[in-house]
Amino acid sequence: MNRINVISKKLYKIGLVVSLAIFLLFIFYDIHNLESNSKRYLSDHYISEGVQETGAINIVTSVLYDYRAFDTLGEATVLLTAAAILSFLVPITKDKMRGTPFTIIVSQTTQVFIPFLAILGMYLIFFGHLAPGGGFVGGVVIALIPILLTITYRVEFSEYKFKPDKKKVSEDIGAIGFVLIGLLGILTGSNFLANGQANVSLGDAGELISAGLIPYLNIMIGIKVGAGLAIIFNSLIKEK
Amino acid sequence: MEAAVWVIILPLLTAFFIGISKVYVKKIFVPLVISSAIIYLYLLILVINNSYPPNVYSVGAWRLIGINLMVDPFSGLFLLIIALLFLPVIIFSVKYIKSYKHEYFIFTYIMTAGIAGMVLTADLFNLYVFLEVSSLSSCALVALKKTNKGLEGAYKYLVMSTLGSFFILLATILTYYLTGTLNIAEISLEFNEIPFKIKSALMAFFVFGYVLKIGLIPLHFWLPDTYEDSPIPYNVLSSGLVMKSAVYALIKVLYIIFGIDFLDKSGLLQIGVFWGVITFIVAHLLAFQQSNLSRLLAYSSIAQIAYIMIGLFVGTEGGLIGGNFHILNHAIMKGTLFLVTAIFYYSLSAVNIEDIKGLAYKFPILSFTFVVASLAIVGLPPFNGFISKWLIVEAALESGFVYAAFFILVGTFLSLTYYLKVIITLYTKNDKEIVVEEPGLSLSLPTIFLGSLCIVFGVVPSLPLRLINKIPTFLLDNGEYIRVLLGG
Repeated sequence: MNRINVISKKLYKIGLVVSLAIFLLFIFYDIHNLESNSKRYLSDHYISEGVQETGAINIVTSVLYDYRAFDTLGEATVLLTAAAILSFLVPITKDKMRGTPFTIIVSQTTQVFIPFLAILGMYLIFFGHLAPGGGFVGGVVIALIPILLTITYRVEFSEYKFKPDKKKVSEDIGAIGFVLIGLLGILTGSNFLANGQANVSLGDAGELISAGLIPYLNIMIGIKVGAGLAIIFNSLIKEK
Repeated sequence: MEAAVWVIILPLLTAFFIGISKVYVKKIFVPLVISSAIIYLYLLILVINNSYPPNVYSVGAWRLIGINLMVDPFSGLFLLIIALLFLPVIIFSVKYIKSYKHEYFIFTYIMTAGIAGMVLTADLFNLYVFLEVSSLSSCALVALKKTNKGLEGAYKYLVMSTLGSFFILLATILTYYLTGTLNIAEISLEFNEIPFKIKSALMAFFVFGYVLKIGLIPLHFWLPDTYEDSPIPYNVLSSGLVMKSAVYALIKVLYIIFGIDFLDKSGLLQIGVFWGVITFIVAHLLAFQQSNLSRLLAYSSIAQIAYIMIGLFVGTEGGLIGGNFHILNHAIMKGTLFLVTAIFYYSLSAVNIEDIKGLAYKFPILSFTFVVASLAIVGLPPFNGFISKWLIVEAALESGFVYAAFFILVGTFLSLTYYLKVIITLYTKNDKEIVVEEPGLSLSLPTIFLGSLCIVFGVVPSLPLRLINKIPTFLLDNGEYIRVLLGG
């Protein structure tokens, strides 16, 4: 009797999932058949006018840091909140990771590797408006440095090199910097997070110093994401 | 309308600066928090004053290709709730919160920024982003005390709120795919050509996602757990603002994007009223069984939100006015009740109803405030809850929902029973010697302020109704809203 109960419960769950899937399938089928390709004026505008209006060759960057920069501020805040939650929720105790089980090859290679990671991260951040990349991606690469230190040499060493307090402060500074750069728009008589509209010189598209305020926003997001991810990783690896 | 964007970024900036002050300059913490809250109050009053006629603020000056903020009377009402609750709660928390003080204030400020963003934005994806900001920080506040119950509540909350967000995000993506735009006004215009079936499916996703966050009855089970062992000043903001902001988003999406005609045709109005009736009957019955004061108030919150849903889903002008007035009143009444509970907890860590036996003789004024607020929430004259409930009943009768009007009266008696239970316990003589820690003025003044508002809004309801009376114009006729957003 008990087994029948278990099986029927399982069937019930599977049935729910399958019926939801069939429902979604029909909806998606209907939506797909609808002729909605004519309504792409927003993305068409971004593609055709994006370079003139924002000065950034990378369209993704121009949408993320100019047209919809306010969303980026919100997403950065979500990341900051997540990092803050993890760092206070996870108990601060000594880690139980094994000492250094790696051979000397690993630790030596890590040392060689780190400058390259720094250069790559910097490149992704600073050239975010010209090439694929940007603050989020560059920040992740920068965050790899403390993460690599943690994995290779344990948490203590990583936190000795990059103090947790310093990381938290630099995360906050990145977020504050983003808002302050946005406020420049208000100071010049336009709106919050305005770039070209606030008469900021956009420069020649394709140069390193161009696209107005976008590179600086990229740097701020890079600092914030790098510090935030490092905090998240180190908080998660600490165990009771 | 520069102030509109400041309403969002000032709490964010404050939260970031608190993060820095935690490490380097610990001394400026309290002045920073208080002064920021006072400046914030001023900004809010500025924005509320300019909410009629509505204003549009374009972030980045991109107009229709970027993100727009819009202040209309409906968002003005929510800013008014923030203005009334935020400063008292902050003053209260400075003394009340003892552990993880910095984290508490960081999350509170981020949560407020998220709610202000949800209320002000006129962009569907921006709405989702700020919804995530507010619900994630709200989860963090539930877990703040790090007790087992608190963590359990936070975990349930996190899972359910993520599930809700998933459905909202899915609906947002599909809407963008169908219409090619994220501006609420443009979506509403494009939606005229979308077939009925697809529109209903999208509506179902939106409704399911938001109702999970609001907590109507079959989807409510996570909610009382989040109230049980979280910092009680946070509960004031949670029941007054976090749940209400989901109501706001749902109503905005339904009335502006889908339009009242579609809601009527698809039968959602009838479903909404019926759902509300079921919810408050069940919630009242569940509240009656609780022995924990916070859980009792949580179930009462679910029931009150159900009244609000009935008012908003009746679909007439009177219903919208009643529902919106009840949103404001419930925030004030529940805020008072939670703050008094918090003082009882602070003074002698009372959590259960038996623990507060005889406290009325120790705290006469605070107990009187509690009685006033609980009679107001039951819906007795001359308090504010009576007027808004009366407006809801009247609107329900006018549009033919006689059963809803009847059951609201039944629900009033049900809620009277369990609130009377608490009041009687409060005023029963207790022979046991009670040792209490005196709450200072900074704890009792915010409580008495909110409690007095219960009477003020009950005697002079025209004060808030001047703002609320303008709300239905922009909800019932979404053409008006669209015209302002596209043209203004």
